[in-house]
Amino acid sequence: MRRGAVSYLPLLILAALWELVTRLGLVSRALLPPFSVVLVALAHMLADGSLLRNAVPSLLRGAAGLALAIVAGFGLGAGMALLPRFRAAFGPLVQAFYPLPKTALVPLVMVWFGLGDTAKIVLIFLGCLLPVILGTYNGIRGVDHVLVWSARSLGASRRDVLREVLLPAAMPQILIGLRTATAFAFLLMVASELIIANNGLGFLIGSLGDDGAYPAMFAAILTITALGFLADRGFAALSAHLLRWRT
Amino acid sequence: MIGRIALRCSAFLVLLAGWEAANRLGLIRPFLLPPLTAVAARLVADVASGAFFLNAAVTLYRTLAGFALACVIGIPLGILISRRKLVGWFVEPIVSVGFPMPAIAFLPIFMLWFGVFDLSKIVMTGFSAVFTVIAAADAGTRGVERQLTWSAQSLGATRAELFRDVMLPAAMPQILTGLQVALPLALIVEVASEMLMGGTGLGGMMVNAENYADSVGVYAGIVEIALVGGIAVALMARLRRHLLRWHPEAAG
Amino acid sequence: MTDPSVPTGIVITGLSHDYTPRAGTRVRALEDVSLTVATGSFHALLGPSGCGKSTLLYCIGGFLPVQTGSIRTDRGLVTDPGPDRGVVFQNFALFPWKTVLQNILYGIGKRGIRGAEARDRAQHFIDLVHLTGFEASFPGQLSGGMQQRAALARTLAAEPDILLMDEPFGALDAQTRRIMQEELLGIWRQTRQTVVFVTHDVAEAVYLSDAISVMSARPGRIRRTLSAGFNRAADPAVFKRPDFTEQVELIWQMVRAEVDDARRPAPA
Repeated sequence: MRRGAVSYLPLLILAALWELVTRLGLVSRALLPPFSVVLVALAHMLADGSLLRNAVPSLLRGAAGLALAIVAGFGLGAGMALLPRFRAAFGPLVQAFYPLPKTALVPLVMVWFGLGDTAKIVLIFLGCLLPVILGTYNGIRGVDHVLVWSARSLGASRRDVLREVLLPAAMPQILIGLRTATAFAFLLMVASELIIANNGLGFLIGSLGDDGAYPAMFAAILTITALGFLADRGFAALSAHLLRWRT
Repeated sequence: MIGRIALRCSAFLVLLAGWEAANRLGLIRPFLLPPLTAVAARLVADVASGAFFLNAAVTLYRTLAGFALACVIGIPLGILISRRKLVGWFVEPIVSVGFPMPAIAFLPIFMLWFGVFDLSKIVMTGFSAVFTVIAAADAGTRGVERQLTWSAQSLGATRAELFRDVMLPAAMPQILTGLQVALPLALIVEVASEMLMGGTGLGGMMVNAENYADSVGVYAGIVEIALVGGIAVALMARLRRHLLRWHPEAAG
Repeated sequence: MTDPSVPTGIVITGLSHDYTPRAGTRVRALEDVSLTVATGSFHALLGPSGCGKSTLLYCIGGFLPVQTGSIRTDRGLVTDPGPDRGVVFQNFALFPWKTVLQNILYGIGKRGIRGAEARDRAQHFIDLVHLTGFEASFPGQLSGGMQQRAALARTLAAEPDILLMDEPFGALDAQTRRIMQEELLGIWRQTRQTVVFVTHDVAEAVYLSDAISVMSARPGRIRRTLSAGFNRAADPAVFKRPDFTEQVELIWQMVRAEVDDARRPAPA
């Protein structure tokens, strides 16, 4: 579904309503600083570099954990889908790990890896692993076997089939898993930084809140929301490109 | 058959055996990986003292309350989006921003608005789940075949009956799929909120253990939270089976 | 062009096939099937649904393992799928993420042919099945009949010795089916490949085939093999000839007897 910028007009209306209720005094400014004040705070944070200084480490952590999860999750998911013995051994482990709320791992990765980047990357990696595994596994298992048979009878080797048939046929499911994983990466990144960190957007939001600098805090929250949205849109564009054969 | 079961358990057995062996052989500091027996003893103690039940109940209560809030708001709104053009026009872009957003970033705002007790956490979990619920209800009703609504209309169904007897059940598989994503999400955010704000609940208990360098408590906490997560997932699956008795997937 | 395709026959001896459904006990799908398909002939497998005719075809294709008995082509025993045996499936099995041209180039590329030669060959088969102008379309954008043409072109372009067709026109509407039958015969008269054609449509089998094997219901056996031969005359009016309708009626009676047999409760 392609939408023009015009379709985001309601967000502007929402911002105008926000400005209006605070200016009219319907909502206390202590609870909700006016939108314009938040924008000014945002401009300040952009100018003094504090926003960029915290956004870069956050995004690097998220990208590193997500990339590791994609590589490992694809391998594990494909292995489980294609090798019955591998599935029998790893399936129960995946099932047991599945219902664990991944934020419960925050204290554990702190015990193991301390308070720095490694702990957060490992947390994001573990949190994103399952959606990637499940997307790959379900995608490959769901491929219509006549597609595989066709390729084989046209002369494809078993190795060819994985790359030329199973991977593209499983791609819609894999992408659904990756989209979930991306959202999880953002969530775990912010959660772990809020709980303990010395930089990052989550840390920024938490420390501004502790200091009572609410306009700046709202600005930081808007920033992370915008980043999550942009990542998702970028991902949607990539999906649309990869799946342009679907009508 | 026995071979199959052995294979299915092998990963667990290797994991647990490796854990115990690493301890006995002194390969790893007990702080990083406390003995299995110590973790098991802590679990037994938590159950015996009732601390587990108290914390689990608090965590589950806030999660389910927030989740219920998300359902009550999200399902009707999602259906309205697909049925009413104006609602769709206004709400869809908001959902497309809210869906991928790391909801936990809003926790300081909810603390500011609703204090540091149950209410802010309930609103937080509800907020984290609501966009998924809206999107699922929207997609579910959008996918209802026109022939289905047409035949109901030609049989004389009123608007309300059309909604209750056709749209809602036809969209139910998708809605439930959304809820099955939203509930674990709510639990993830609830645990994180408890860790941030401390106090009762399994997340609060874990962060306490962490602060006192009590790694046995951290490991026991993971097992306890996993148990609660498992219960939540199982309850949702049971609800799905119950509500979708008519669906072909139930026969499988 | 590399080596021209050599028509080969198929010799099946004593083939049985069992399978175990996900929930249930072992079922015998094929029992002691022996059959010879002559080189260059168009051979139909006809029978009620569930008689194992598709299973037999998949065994020839090498997709299902040969459990008991053997299947031999001029290239030796069948153990695996291979480009010497091309398949056309009922639901087309086109790669939905490839365009018509890319789908057809796939099998050609597997034979080691690339570049301009590959494109020329693909274009030849696209023209042959009347899909000129739709090279850049994705399968999802085409009608069922056009998708099946593309699938046929993809298989033909790989130049198999043997063409295996699994109810290829079963998913098409009646008019399209009739046109596709005529075109298939036209193409076959040029290529003269050995064809094994699975169908449950008696008139289709009589119209297309040199020989027709009628199969019994589960477990599948070959009941009888008859010759037809209306396919050799390029006469679209053959449907109205009295000897044609007579043959259809005769075979229909045999198939019906099989259906009735299958309905009767098994003797205790």
